[in-house]
Amino acid sequence: MTEPRVIRFRLNGEWVQLGVAPNELLINVLRERLHLTGTKYWCGIGECGGCTVLLDGEPVLSCLTLAVDVDGREITTIEGLATGEDDLTPLQRAFIEEGAIQCGFCTPGFILTAQALLRENPNPTEEEIREYVRGNLCRCTGYVNIVRAIKRAASEAAKSRRPGPAAGAASG
Amino acid sequence: MSAGGRFRFVGVRVGRKDGVLKATGRATYAYDVWLPGMLYGRILKSPYAHAEVRVDATEAERLGAVVLTPRDVPDVLFNPRLVSVEEDTFKDWRVLTEHPRYVGEPVAAVAAASEEAAQRALEAIKLEPVRVYKPLLDPFEATRPGSPAIHERIMRGGAWVNVEDNVACTLEYSEGDVDRALSEADVVVERRFHTNRRYHLQPEPKVAVSRPDPDGGVTVWTTTQTIHNTKILISQVFGIPQSKVRVKKVFLGGGFGSSIHTNLVTLVAVALSRKARRPVKIALTREEDMMHDHVSFEMYLRIRAGARRNGRLSGAEFENVMDVGAHQIQPYPLLGTALGWFVSLYKWRAIRYFGRAVYTNKVPSCALRGYGNPQVTWAVETVVDELAEELGVDPVEFRLKNYVGKGDLFWGQGPTVKSIIRSDGVPELMRRGAELIGWRNRPRPGEQTGRYRRGIGVARGFHTSGAGGPLSGSVIDYSGAFLKVNEDGSVDYVTALQDHGGGTLDAHAKIIAEELCIPLEKVNVVWSDSSTTVYDVCTHASRGVYVGGEAARRAAREVKRKILEYAVRILNVAVGPEALRVRYDEELGDAVIYVEGSDAQTTLSEVARTAWQRNWGSISASVSFRATAAPPSFTAYFVEVEVDTETGRVRPVRVVAGADIGKVINPELAEGQVQGGFVMGWGWAVLEDTPYNPETGALENMGFITDYKAPTAGDIPPIEDFRVIFADTYEPTGPFGAKGIGEAASNPVAAAVANAIYDAIGIRFYELPITPERILRALRERERASGENPPRRRGVA
Repeated sequence: MTEPRVIRFRLNGEWVQLGVAPNELLINVLRERLHLTGTKYWCGIGECGGCTVLLDGEPVLSCLTLAVDVDGREITTIEGLATGEDDLTPLQRAFIEEGAIQCGFCTPGFILTAQALLRENPNPTEEEIREYVRGNLCRCTGYVNIVRAIKRAASEAAKSRRPGPAAGAASG
Repeated sequence: MSAGGRFRFVGVRVGRKDGVLKATGRATYAYDVWLPGMLYGRILKSPYAHAEVRVDATEAERLGAVVLTPRDVPDVLFNPRLVSVEEDTFKDWRVLTEHPRYVGEPVAAVAAASEEAAQRALEAIKLEPVRVYKPLLDPFEATRPGSPAIHERIMRGGAWVNVEDNVACTLEYSEGDVDRALSEADVVVERRFHTNRRYHLQPEPKVAVSRPDPDGGVTVWTTTQTIHNTKILISQVFGIPQSKVRVKKVFLGGGFGSSIHTNLVTLVAVALSRKARRPVKIALTREEDMMHDHVSFEMYLRIRAGARRNGRLSGAEFENVMDVGAHQIQPYPLLGTALGWFVSLYKWRAIRYFGRAVYTNKVPSCALRGYGNPQVTWAVETVVDELAEELGVDPVEFRLKNYVGKGDLFWGQGPTVKSIIRSDGVPELMRRGAELIGWRNRPRPGEQTGRYRRGIGVARGFHTSGAGGPLSGSVIDYSGAFLKVNEDGSVDYVTALQDHGGGTLDAHAKIIAEELCIPLEKVNVVWSDSSTTVYDVCTHASRGVYVGGEAARRAAREVKRKILEYAVRILNVAVGPEALRVRYDEELGDAVIYVEGSDAQTTLSEVARTAWQRNWGSISASVSFRATAAPPSFTAYFVEVEVDTETGRVRPVRVVAGADIGKVINPELAEGQVQGGFVMGWGWAVLEDTPYNPETGALENMGFITDYKAPTAGDIPPIEDFRVIFADTYEPTGPFGAKGIGEAASNPVAAAVANAIYDAIGIRFYELPITPERILRALRERERASGENPPRRRGVA
């Protein structure tokens, strides 16, 4: 029963292959074996959203996902979005500039969840943002600046989708 | 440097320095530390609330695990919190014990190659109960004669003291003739309050990695708010010289007071790693963190307060019984600060205080954002509201007439930490807040009918900025800073002070950049450890910016003095350093050092390079700084709530959160502190609690966050209805006029919310949290009691 099984999946754009136990959780494979510690452990039982990663673009909780289930699929962790200052995504930049980051422990989960939201719904209302990120806990910010950062990233993306005089004026 | 009073960096909005690391998942927290050859540790926790047990670890050892029993750890009694002076430190803890006093107390521990193997070994340990006691879960039952003794004797400093009737410690105080004041008062209100037992729910569960070093010492990475006190405790318990205990600073996933003391997980990891002679990591699960680690102090308060018809308070009695759980994490100083919070809110004129901390067989209590202040402020601000109503005075005006403000003697941190208030934004915050929320037109209790009822409440509060004062007192409070100029003119700032996320170190970097006139990006905050930093007591008591920031500023001033001495040599025209001026040149991205009315000038990078090339030596300074005041940061919150009388649910409709933190150094981060403080306070007011099973003494929610009910993004008002305002004040004793913020931000929330609920439905609540169940029960009781015509006011104890 505990025979390791070899799985192969695309992780942040690159294929990886490794043997995993049938009961091994994705969060542990990412953190303990691949040392991608940007995926955070808060609760381990699906209550907080801290360990959110994208599975084929959809947000999933890596603490409730078996590693064998990602075989052949694509996983994006926070490390896959940017490597540093130069290639930050608009969401990451908005989180930094809007004061949406304090201790930073919930930040990776929030950014990935928000990225999935904006892919599904590029122009969410404030109410829709709150509803979508309700499963992600934050204990420092009171959520206000997080919601504000997501709104800002959405409106900046909308501006860049509509090039024209309005966008030009806004960036001036 | 400020030109004409304007600042270049202080008060300017700029993304936090560690923002990129955190937004890209590259910030390393203790939970993320991994070392080659590392073992994983697990702790065996007592299933009994109070018992004597025998540990049989034969089977676990047979499985190949490294096993630690109470016999394998030093027989040392200690207190994990080292903020008080030795003679006021009460010691009743051991690393592991065969006499567990709460469900979850560490009894044994194991380490193995994987967490799974460690867990299997843990489950193989046999715990034989030798004697099981009836758990004492209520402090009033615990103090009844004949109840089992939770501790028979403990140590205060170096002396043994006997524990009588499970009383951990007491404090009494009086000033003026209270009996006379109350008998002469025109109105007297007496109320009893009971708070919830809150859990920090800091995002990062407690964790420790310990590596034994070849020199007999250890290197430790752990969740802590103080690397130096962690170093000292490890040294004291294991008898290792402090020079061989290296505690590394790593990012902390939220503190909120949960790691002012050194958590047992750290000491157990050190003990395991020394026995295994390999690095050991122990990472608590969330369930363990919540069920077995610690929570805040549950308080039973009684206030009897009087006021005169002239609108002035005349006297008060204050009683504070605290359930501290099974061990002391220094409730003794809290008995003092609880009194400090009480006397520093209002001019009572005469007071009598009785404080008592009582042991129970529950998880030990420690500081949680505010250190008792949110609890005391809730009670005081409820009573003050009621007194104003009895007198028929506007609650805002009543508060303004009686609060402790500018020029008054202030001793928020207790009777041994006193100073005079020099900055005070309370009138501004109260007036602006009242206007913004529409205070004059607020609904009145009992006015509304229908399912949804709205109300507006006000409460004010404060917290100290650190615990400094002109006298040494019983609290240890000083900070350190080391600053050096690199050979290109950039600077490295080395500090032990921990930033929990509030932006403390960003504030320090701004203070240094401002003082030295260099761009913010040239100030590097170094990730340091206890060996390479001068002592800093702890990041707590909202002291990070006020005390730590002033240490940074003094180090920068000292460095600047040396820069100017070298500049005199380079310029060769000025009569001395005092003839030189410094300004920030944005184009050059450098400090320009010049002589007024002359062309002579040089830059900091030129000075640094020259000092290096001509062998003049490094420019650096090391500073140790003790503040001689702990000024109050004031907050005044106006909250509008809506009560659903069918479900009992309360939601925040609008918030005007006012804060006087002196000069605001990080505007967006300070706003974030206020918003976060409000939402945490909202959770304490209406959602969060940790009830216990009365039979077993175990926590009822079993460590589930969902059952603990912390606020989510769905619980906050719309962004545009959440206003944060800052008073325009300047604290003369603070760095560039700044004071603290972290705790003041949450202190008045429960009171403002409770007062708003009263305004909405006409019922006062004296027990937290004000849950939907409690609201519905109170509404039904009122209906039953009075049929069609509900009375205007009603209290529910």
